[in-house]
Amino acid sequence: MRAKNEIKTAKSKEQRAKKTAGKINKPLSAAPGSSVTVLKGSVRGQRVPSRILEEQIQDAVQNGARELHIIANGQHGIGGRIWPREGTVRITIEGPAGQRVGSMGMPGTEVIVKNSASDDAGWINCGAKITVLGDVTNGAFNAAAQGLLYVQGSGGARCDTMTKQNPRFEPPQSWYFRNVGDSFAEFKAGGIAVVCGVNPRNPENILGYRPCVGMVGGAIYFRGPIQGYSDKDVKLLDLTEQDWDWLKTNMRPYLEAIDRISYYEELTRASSDWKKLMAYTPQEKRSRKWFKMSTTDFRKNHWEKETGQGGIFAEYLDHDQTILPYITTGKERRNKPLWANEKFAPPCAYACPSQIPSHKRASLIRQGLLQESLELVLKYSPLPATVCGQICPNPCMMSCTRGQLDKPLQIDKLGSLALELPAPKKEKATGHTIAVIGGGPGGLSTAWQLALKGHAVDLYEATGKLGGKIEHCIPRERLPHQILEKELSRFAELGVKVHLNAAIDKTKFSEIYKDHEIVVIAIGAQKPRIIPFPGSEDATSAYDFLKATNAGTVHDLKGKKVVVIGSGNVGMDVASEAYNFGAASVIAVDIQKPAAFGKEVDTATAKGTQILWPRITERYSKEEKKIYFKDGSSLEADLVIISIGDVPVLDLLPPSVHTERGWIAVNDIFQTSDVKVFAIGDVTGLGLVTHAIGQGRLTAETVHYQLMHAPRNPEVKQMIPYERIKKEYYDVCTGDFSPEREANKCMSCASCRDCHMCEATCYWGAISRIEREGGGYEYVVDDTKCIGCGFCAGICPCGVWEMVENI
Amino acid sequence: MEPASRLDHNHKLSLREFPYIIRWRDDRCKRCGRCTAVCPVKAIVPSVKVMRSVHSEGPIPTPGSTRRTVQVVEQVTNMERYCTGCGTCALVCPNEAIEPEFNPANKLLHYKNKGGDGYKRGGRRNDPSISTLDRLKFTRISMLTDPALDAGRHEFRIRTLLGRVLAPEAMPLSVVNGKLGIDARNNIFVPPVREIYPIMIGSMSIGALSPPMWEGLAMGVAYLNEVEGMPVVMCSGEGGMPPRLLRSKYLKYFIIQIASGYFGWDEIIHALPHMIEDPAAIEIKYGQGAKPGDGGLLMAQKVLKLIAKIRGVPQMVDLASPPTHQTKYSIEEAVAKMIQSMSMAWGFRVPVYPKISGSKTARAVLNNLARNPYAAALSIDGEDGGTGAAYNVSMDKMGHPIASNLRECYLDLVKQGKQNELPLIAAGGVGKKGNLAANAAALIMLGASAVSIGKYIMQTASDCFGDENNRCNLCNTGQCPRGITTQDPKLYRRLDPDKVAERVVEVFKSADTELKKIFAPMGRSTELPIGMSDGLSIDDKAMAERLGISYAC
Repeated sequence: MRAKNEIKTAKSKEQRAKKTAGKINKPLSAAPGSSVTVLKGSVRGQRVPSRILEEQIQDAVQNGARELHIIANGQHGIGGRIWPREGTVRITIEGPAGQRVGSMGMPGTEVIVKNSASDDAGWINCGAKITVLGDVTNGAFNAAAQGLLYVQGSGGARCDTMTKQNPRFEPPQSWYFRNVGDSFAEFKAGGIAVVCGVNPRNPENILGYRPCVGMVGGAIYFRGPIQGYSDKDVKLLDLTEQDWDWLKTNMRPYLEAIDRISYYEELTRASSDWKKLMAYTPQEKRSRKWFKMSTTDFRKNHWEKETGQGGIFAEYLDHDQTILPYITTGKERRNKPLWANEKFAPPCAYACPSQIPSHKRASLIRQGLLQESLELVLKYSPLPATVCGQICPNPCMMSCTRGQLDKPLQIDKLGSLALELPAPKKEKATGHTIAVIGGGPGGLSTAWQLALKGHAVDLYEATGKLGGKIEHCIPRERLPHQILEKELSRFAELGVKVHLNAAIDKTKFSEIYKDHEIVVIAIGAQKPRIIPFPGSEDATSAYDFLKATNAGTVHDLKGKKVVVIGSGNVGMDVASEAYNFGAASVIAVDIQKPAAFGKEVDTATAKGTQILWPRITERYSKEEKKIYFKDGSSLEADLVIISIGDVPVLDLLPPSVHTERGWIAVNDIFQTSDVKVFAIGDVTGLGLVTHAIGQGRLTAETVHYQLMHAPRNPEVKQMIPYERIKKEYYDVCTGDFSPEREANKCMSCASCRDCHMCEATCYWGAISRIEREGGGYEYVVDDTKCIGCGFCAGICPCGVWEMVENI
Repeated sequence: MEPASRLDHNHKLSLREFPYIIRWRDDRCKRCGRCTAVCPVKAIVPSVKVMRSVHSEGPIPTPGSTRRTVQVVEQVTNMERYCTGCGTCALVCPNEAIEPEFNPANKLLHYKNKGGDGYKRGGRRNDPSISTLDRLKFTRISMLTDPALDAGRHEFRIRTLLGRVLAPEAMPLSVVNGKLGIDARNNIFVPPVREIYPIMIGSMSIGALSPPMWEGLAMGVAYLNEVEGMPVVMCSGEGGMPPRLLRSKYLKYFIIQIASGYFGWDEIIHALPHMIEDPAAIEIKYGQGAKPGDGGLLMAQKVLKLIAKIRGVPQMVDLASPPTHQTKYSIEEAVAKMIQSMSMAWGFRVPVYPKISGSKTARAVLNNLARNPYAAALSIDGEDGGTGAAYNVSMDKMGHPIASNLRECYLDLVKQGKQNELPLIAAGGVGKKGNLAANAAALIMLGASAVSIGKYIMQTASDCFGDENNRCNLCNTGQCPRGITTQDPKLYRRLDPDKVAERVVEVFKSADTELKKIFAPMGRSTELPIGMSDGLSIDDKAMAERLGISYAC
């Protein structure tokens, strides 16, 4: 259906307009000579659809009409989208204008609404001048980009939302004479809104509830009371002179257009009547602290005022309530380094039963003090060339850290180098008298140490020679006799009163006991243990065999088969000696895994000794020359030597000295149940020669302190863990022995070698070396520089530095 | 067996067994030692290595070699000091020369049982995969159907009620002097109700947390209430509360927890006469989602003066919170007895509710609470919750996911018509992947009146290193490199309580914005969409069915 419309001359239209628009104050006026096109929104009681009216308007403008008069009936969007080629198109609307009057209006279009307008008046206005001689309802000027909206009354809700300004054009303007409704100017991005506040419908609030939410541009001038705005988006300002000039200049045409020029004076009375809302710039928004109050201020001004100075925990804290960095110095460090020089024992000294500090010997050599180095050992042993150099299995070398890299230090050779040394100087005589019973290694060591300290020592030896089992039982092959003799002559320099061929019985013991302040028993074990199997009476003991050998007896073993029962190191010595006497074969047996180790077993097996185990002897038949074992096997045996150890002969002891299972019982300072009597060496249990020497030294020390009435707190050092020694610093060594070479090989475990590595590594310059008053040096840490990183400890070649909790 | 001779690599673990492998760059390192100074477990140490090269420079084979001993930073292969990947080394390294790299093929759990004890740690379930909560989507977006709201433009009021809400007909209302009010004459009990923000801070104790961490959280909560007007509440955890706070006006923002150890409760009772405000609520802890069946243990070395004073115990003793309460022998008795006692302490003016770990038995507990007029709520803590210390097995393998547990409880309430009466508080993994608001909204729409966050807020407020690849998770050792879960002042003084508070405020404000972004398109601005499950979907049919929501793909 297409509704018909009439196009009439201006004259008739004007007449008609006068009839229908009774409320209009001013008569419609057309430019002289132009004609007015009148279009009706209703024809014969029928409403013309918006689409048809729009076509008629567009056709009329196309055909040259420049003055249109629309008698509207709620049609949509009247007056928009008109682009005259020249001149101005003027559209006057009477009757109810529909929604979006003048929407998408173009430059050159003027729309005058004689009544109030419906929603969205001037929607996306692109340049039209729209005058509403009444109110605009919701959404007026929504998204307007250019042009004008003059409102004679007030605006509804959500007016001026999304307005913007295109830099190509002048900004849009909207003018409201009375007030505007809620949610005004949301997301406004440009354009100027003016709200004059004359006779407002809501006298308390002329901008409505919560205006300017999301507003980012443009300005709002208003005059009258408001109740808040979106303060995160816009700021409230006074008008500047430029604002005021603009407002006064533009106020006149506005008031004229809405026929309210009589208010000009009142509205331009004073700039202070007006305020301006402007959006914060993005820059301002970014720089604005969105925290209403810093948490620090909150704590100071609220939290601590309410809960107390320092906050809720302050009363229980005993430290500063300041913030610490991650990298700290001084007492704030979590860990701190300690120059723990000599805190641990090096493996050599720890393993040595005589506690000889070989690392110190190496250190002295490195300092060019070879003589002092060699002499040092005499403070620990009277027989270094004999024991360290010849007969000791050298546990020091077995545990030497260097052995984990290439070969252990040749500590045995350092011992041998001490052979020619004279005895050290004795201390001044103390007047104390001590008896040492037994001239073996234990007795010699005790007497040596006590004599060095200035005590008078009586040394009683049952046989005619000093040296004990070293003299009597250890094959000369392993120990050239002159070495022992040389060292015994050094011993003799100390002036110990030696009583040879002085076997001690109970009576003699009680005399000695009476005549001396302290008695040290070091008589060893001389009674061979025998297994009572059938035929054992036809066997000989290792003790007797070796003792006879050293005494010069020549055993006739040519072509004979020898079986040694017991495959310890003594058994190995026996086997070697048997071969020396021409034995055809030597077989050593044991009931368990043989205990022999080191040079003894190497020598014996090199000579051909076979070791069989487990073999439990059943019987020996001298007639058959056969030894039978419990597993049914047998061996041919011209000679059977039992080498399962010796036990002490304890006839001399008074009842006050307690024994246990045939051995003298001692405590950890080698004291017997009689506090005046000490016992060391094999008489307390079988051990190595070096054990007896060490025990002798420790006992001498105990006795010395006791006699001098000094408290003794023997220092028991732990062995340094191997991983603390940095072997990486050392290269694998080749070449022959020399003391200097050995000293450089020494890794100086647990003992500072003064290499300055720590000083060099400390990034913070916290470590320095200082000379101690009275000699020596130490490395110290400047706590104000150290961060507790542990580099000194991690890279110390000797494992001296260590990290400890910084408490 | 005795060793054959010198041993070398026998029974030594290779680095490949370790969960994090230190990548150290010789060419960048200046050997300043910052990394080794801060490593909380001494997993890296300075050491020396030999570098040797053999070369021939002549026209014929002319062997030569050079040898250098260099200082390095190396990782130890000792399981007692395994690198936990915290990355403090990388944080402090000025040269980017060091960082731990996660080794997904690690065998930590094969070996972390030396000494015959199971592996203990802090953190949460080590499962970095996506959780049910993160699979839930909000698929009901109102555009032209319902009035859509704009989160940026409209005003929202995101609040929930903590406490039992009587049905209108059950309220003893009468009009007196023309005003509607409570009629006290017939002595009907009107349960206390608090209007709170629907994201609560869950229970983390003083002791588990360091002083600045706990105070920072507490200060943030006070700030949110006092400055931002957001009624966020925080639960004390079981470790008491400092008297200074108990006696302050801020007490009203705190929920005090009582648990099986009853730590700090004598101090709380002593403070009763001095309280000027009631606490927000009392939470009775029966279980913890992170470690159901495992109790708490505060190691003696953490029980220093501060902790001892606040908990009311001697210093330097182990403090055990057993997994079960003593003297409680049935649901009925346990719940009734505890709720009565706690209500009585504050004259029935304070909501009292129990917290249990997510469990198939949650519905039984709920059923009981629904019939107890004094029960104010039920808090259910799902398996993805965090803890400061627990056996790994309890954390990784024990517990129930929160989504379906909460949902079935809510639907039980719906069946009884009590869904608006007894609030459910959901917890356990809310914000696990950082999606705090989305997880919270999803749980609310499944039926929670509020959600509780612990681990998430703790982490995000303090830059915690921990993650579900077992990074750091040293909370139980007292060696926390961030100063969060330690009582060692040298470590906890790294943490600025003001910064923690600031982060709490930021997190809640941003979550508030995000909640609006979720609720606005659903047209909700004043009422929380509790149980509005038609707005939720999930991309798994079985899950959709279990949760009673739609399947969307």
